[in-house]
Amino acid sequence: MTAVQLKGVRKSFGTFTAISKIDLDIKSGELVALLGPSGCGKTTTLRMIAGLEIPTDGQILFDKKDVSETAVQKRNVGMVFQRYALFPHMTVEKNVLFGLKVRGTDKAEMAQRLEDILEVVQLQQFRHRFPAQLSGGQMQRVAIARTLITNPSVLMMDEPLANLDTKLRGEMRRFIRDLQQRLGITTIFVTHDQIEAMELADRVAVIFDGNLAQYAAPDALYQQPNSIEIADFMGATNVFEAAITGKSATTAFGALSFATKAADGPAHVMLRGEAIDLHLTEPSGVQNQMQGQVTAREFFGANITYSVDCKGVRIQVTEQSRRMVDVGQDVWLTIPPDRIWIIQK
Amino acid sequence: MSKTKELARHKRERTWMWIQLMPVMLVLTVLFGGALVLGVAQSLGFAPWFGVNTFPDFSYFAALWGDSFFWKSLGLTLYYAVAATLISLVLGILLALALVRTFPSKAFYKYLYKLPLMIPYTVGIALAVIMLGNGGMLSRLMAFTGFIDDPNQFPQILKTHMGWGIIAVYVWKQTPFVALTIYAVLLGVGRETEEAAAILGANKRQIFFQVTLPQILPGIISSTLIIFAFNIGAFEAPFILGGGFPDTLPVVAWRYFNDADYTLQLQGMATVVSIALVAGVILYSYLAFYRRYERRIGRS
Ligand SMILES: Nc1ncnc2c1ncn2[C@@H]1O[C@H](COP(=O)(O)OP(=O)(O)OP(=O)(O)O)[C@@H](O)[C@H]1O
Ligand SMILES: [Mg+2]
Repeated sequence: MTAVQLKGVRKSFGTFTAISKIDLDIKSGELVALLGPSGCGKTTTLRMIAGLEIPTDGQILFDKKDVSETAVQKRNVGMVFQRYALFPHMTVEKNVLFGLKVRGTDKAEMAQRLEDILEVVQLQQFRHRFPAQLSGGQMQRVAIARTLITNPSVLMMDEPLANLDTKLRGEMRRFIRDLQQRLGITTIFVTHDQIEAMELADRVAVIFDGNLAQYAAPDALYQQPNSIEIADFMGATNVFEAAITGKSATTAFGALSFATKAADGPAHVMLRGEAIDLHLTEPSGVQNQMQGQVTAREFFGANITYSVDCKGVRIQVTEQSRRMVDVGQDVWLTIPPDRIWIIQK
Repeated sequence: MSKTKELARHKRERTWMWIQLMPVMLVLTVLFGGALVLGVAQSLGFAPWFGVNTFPDFSYFAALWGDSFFWKSLGLTLYYAVAATLISLVLGILLALALVRTFPSKAFYKYLYKLPLMIPYTVGIALAVIMLGNGGMLSRLMAFTGFIDDPNQFPQILKTHMGWGIIAVYVWKQTPFVALTIYAVLLGVGRETEEAAAILGANKRQIFFQVTLPQILPGIISSTLIIFAFNIGAFEAPFILGGGFPDTLPVVAWRYFNDADYTLQLQGMATVVSIALVAGVILYSYLAFYRRYERRIGRS
């Protein structure tokens, strides 16, 4: 398979800069998610890797070789478009076979590979339909089959699951993950859904406004974001200003001691809601206690989120729905020092 | 709501629809349909206003179709129409494909190419005479630059049965029309399927013939239909720029209509009906053929 590397890549459309500077290292066989809000440059990045856009600056390397001069046709990449881009005048079969036909593959081999791939994507009974006669999920599977049948060395998917309903999305997610692991294709997929990125990817590249904001494994991104924007984007609710001195962070609701490295000075502390314990009686001998009162309760089935007011600061605590604590109840919160993350300015 | 009430409402709506359509239908039936019926009747010998009424009488058609000049005229008419349509189509597609790409000062070219659409045919014909005639600009220019010794040596472009002048005027006027139609279709189709094809390994030719062309076919069909129908019935260009006898059918009809012997008007009408028949058969087969293709690719 192929390792993909972006070195100082920049892309401008006229005077508008879509990508300011991106350095990205994707290992062979890795599944990387490009995550970011709408308009941040995810599609543009994919298009540059595919060769549909030429970077204004910087280099794109496949297995350490610069592919700037390599035509789209010769890069041997696959791309599933955001809106599928199926050929409307061809049946499912013809769509899927297109890549082999233009390469001049022989008939018998084409037939064999068609059967194999239709089996994989479960589209055998739709083979003679036209795209207009398919549902969103079926079209998407055609798009994936059409791409995979050419054995690309890099597979790119632009929001492949965006147009599907929740159930189908889960199915397709597992399908993509299995397929990727089985074939070991270097895969880059775009999403603006952080849950999807975390579930699927080996590593996640967060892009904000044309810049690579963080590139890390899902758990690192979730537990240890390197900016409050990323923390916010990853769904963190408890991010507070703090002053750091040694291993202690002074906040509006008291001092917290933490385990991670941090320099002295102003910073933010991030407390993941599920790392906080909620006690109905004052615990003893536990570090990082905060006293407060429950002001709201949200029930999500398996989980409950409480809003706790601690000296005028609202802290959200999530726990499994094993019990219900009433609104107005006085409570004590504790958090282990190693679950506190410091975001330095 | 009860079923009878529903039905009554439905009926009222339909009646209202017919009332709204009446004015258009009236104009169509009286002006177009009436004229068509009269024309056909006249070509079959019904013209009491000339003191002729031998209806139904096929002798005018027999005389016309029995003469070899008619078939030569028909051949010329079809040749000019088909050649001009094909050339306009190819140039129009190339122009439309160029227009969807980005290039410097594209906005200016987008206005420029539409210019011939706004200029009347007669002006185009005059331009052709000025430019392409034997004493025209092109011949002088070539003599001036030394390609030929004398403007008279300039090859005959106008007034030959090759019809270069006629075809040039049609193409000049119709290429922008085809381009405009196909450009609009291309904008609707978008670039994505072409890009997908490129990523799948298709070269430029494969992309055009297997992906782009089938998708712009509706635009090709409608624009060629319109320009072909015009070309086959056009009069001014072959009249002014044509090579003389045998003329194209519309010119033949015009000569009959202008003949001092007014009974030849009936012969003229037979010519007009023949043009309509030929055009109708060709356009109908063309459409039927296209419908079959559309059904084959699953459009209904
Ligand atoms: N061809 C183009 N010309 C000019 N600007 C463009 C072009 N393509 C993209 N852009 C701009 O570049 C920026 C990034 O676009 P891009 O399509 O990469 O966003 P995205 O991250 O994929 O967003 P989404 O999640 O909405 O698909 C946007 O502001 C967009 O308007
Ligand atoms: Mg996008």
